[in-house]
Amino acid sequence: MNYVGQTITILRKDLSLEWRSKERITPMVLFVLLILLVFNFSFELGGAVLSEIGPGVLWSAFIFAGLLSLHRTFASERQNETLDALLLAPIDRSALYLSKMLSNFVFLLAVQLFSLPPFCFFFNLSPEPPLLLLLPVLVLGAACLAAVGTLFAAMSIHSRLREQFLPLLVLPMMVPALISCIGGTAEVFDQTQRFAIGDQVEIFSDGLVTHLQMLGTYAMVFNALALMLFEYIVEE
Amino acid sequence: MRRHLNVLVESGLAVLMIAALFAVFVYVPSEREMGVVQRIFYFHVSSAIAAFVGFAMVFVASIQYLRTRRENWDCLALAAAELGVVFSLIVLISGPIWAKPIWGVFWRWEPRLTSMLIAFTIYVAYLIVRSYTTGSPDRTRRFAAVIGVVAFVNVPLVYYSVNLWSADQQLHPREVELAPAMVQTRYLAFAAIIALFFYLLKRRYELEKLARNVERLDADLPLH
Amino acid sequence: MSSSAVVAQGVSKRFGAAAALRNVDLNLNNGELLLLAGANGAGKTTLLRLFAGLSRPSQGTVLLAGTNPVGSDRRGVGFVSHQSLLYDELTVVENLTFFARLYGVPRAHERIDAMLEWVELGDRRHQRTGTLSRGLKQRLSLARSVLHEPSILLLDEPFASLDRRGIRLITRYLKSLDGVRTKPTAIIVSHEIEPTADVINRVVILRRGRISLDRAWNGGSGVELQKLCDHFSEAETG
Repeated sequence: MNYVGQTITILRKDLSLEWRSKERITPMVLFVLLILLVFNFSFELGGAVLSEIGPGVLWSAFIFAGLLSLHRTFASERQNETLDALLLAPIDRSALYLSKMLSNFVFLLAVQLFSLPPFCFFFNLSPEPPLLLLLPVLVLGAACLAAVGTLFAAMSIHSRLREQFLPLLVLPMMVPALISCIGGTAEVFDQTQRFAIGDQVEIFSDGLVTHLQMLGTYAMVFNALALMLFEYIVEE
Repeated sequence: MRRHLNVLVESGLAVLMIAALFAVFVYVPSEREMGVVQRIFYFHVSSAIAAFVGFAMVFVASIQYLRTRRENWDCLALAAAELGVVFSLIVLISGPIWAKPIWGVFWRWEPRLTSMLIAFTIYVAYLIVRSYTTGSPDRTRRFAAVIGVVAFVNVPLVYYSVNLWSADQQLHPREVELAPAMVQTRYLAFAAIIALFFYLLKRRYELEKLARNVERLDADLPLH
Repeated sequence: MSSSAVVAQGVSKRFGAAAALRNVDLNLNNGELLLLAGANGAGKTTLLRLFAGLSRPSQGTVLLAGTNPVGSDRRGVGFVSHQSLLYDELTVVENLTFFARLYGVPRAHERIDAMLEWVELGDRRHQRTGTLSRGLKQRLSLARSVLHEPSILLLDEPFASLDRRGIRLITRYLKSLDGVRTKPTAIIVSHEIEPTADVINRVVILRRGRISLDRAWNGGSGVELQKLCDHFSEAETG
């Protein structure tokens, strides 16, 4: 079986398991909504304020929810020592990373997509066409978090800090991506609100493009690093 | 013989530092606009460079450790990381000391300070991870090495994106014409700080090796 | 060298300051069935995991079919542990299908059916693995490990909490390997000595990380073997 086939096999396994239990996506979505709820008591997020802090609030919620879930990436493989089984199999270690990263990517993206409608609803963001531009930001943002998160999740199972480990490492590392996720989202919200009041709209503004480039670069760099370094983490 | 060499080096370093202190506090004239507090700049900038050198060394040592698994590289990475953190702390403390009289506030979220702060937290996390990893020391070292590599690659990304975010807030003074005395002082302070960095690095490195050898003695294992 | 299936040369493994293995030399030829015995903490599982490629030696070399088991093509290894190495949430057949795919087993469907029949789990193929009893899970685990017809079998306490039928399943399988042309090499780590007595042809006993006995075993009673092991493993309270 080739590299791609093995990656897909493991990915399918993880997606099937999640489809059955829904034990990662469901809590994540709820958690995102709860965080948004809490934030709402700090600032009322509707209207003009939305473009100022909305993006930050949204991505804070995504990241914190994501971090809790990412720990499970390999923690779930400790049951019955299935991680050993995966390490014993004749697959490249990097294929294991890739499949786990992709499943995390799917979960994170799913959470984002499920959380967005409630977000728009509670904070009065009219779902106008420019909002579609949010998609590339969400996708790339999820890709960045999945890359960094998966790499460090493999370490978190061997740390006394356990769930506390991931936030400690991922948050500072994610800053470049976070800045562009928030920046890009802000651009999109801005365009959306302009559209809503009939103003001139710029589809791919310079700002948005720069942020997307940053996210793309970040995702590529971290995936490349992870593919190379992963084997050093899973070795006993 | 070795002891004599050590004394020589230490004395030299002491002389260099005293000279630098003299230059910074006595010799060089006060800057026209900012006054006395500007003198901190001579150590502030050098410390930032020293921290960066430390982080670069962590990167190189980490790669080498993963390649060769020779413990010396790991000792070097640890020493360099600790010093990087210490010198970043110096930057983060001296910055506000300078900033309060000049900018009026202790802290501004401007590119360089923010980047330094983020780098600081990443390498502090590096040190924390080293203490809390279970299993054999070999695993701790491998994990640390991986983080050491990733952290340094991340540094330019951090710098670039923080600039992107707050370029308008760039408040660090630009490169201006410096009086000759200032240029001299700057180089002298730089030399002193860098010399201090390498001296401390060497001492910490040796200390770490010694500590590990003691552990080995305790466990009846061959020494390195 | 090419006839040596499993080799350990000057192997030491340290976990921090503690040495689990000290300077172990072992040379297993193709087709040998080895019992690796010793008291708790003697280093048996550590050595096995080194052979499996799950860990690297601190010193020395480990070779599996002539290559480094870490990072090489591990197609030829079958590993049975006291942990099932199976996904509780997948059904019996799903687990086997997953591993068959991962190992690139040809004609997986037929192979899986054959395996299920052999371990007598055919009528439970759609049962969630987590609901199986310990004994049945272990049987499934055995099926998983030989799915790809490995040339080297590593068994870590395979008899743990197995009923007599389960134990017989494993010993029968190991004995059946005798007539096979390309007979696999096997290492069994076990506290239960007696079931292995008429299966193995060599015994190695570890004592505090070192080999204290390495000799052939040409059949004999379980009691004899047990006595031999007790003598050479000499637990701390000797």
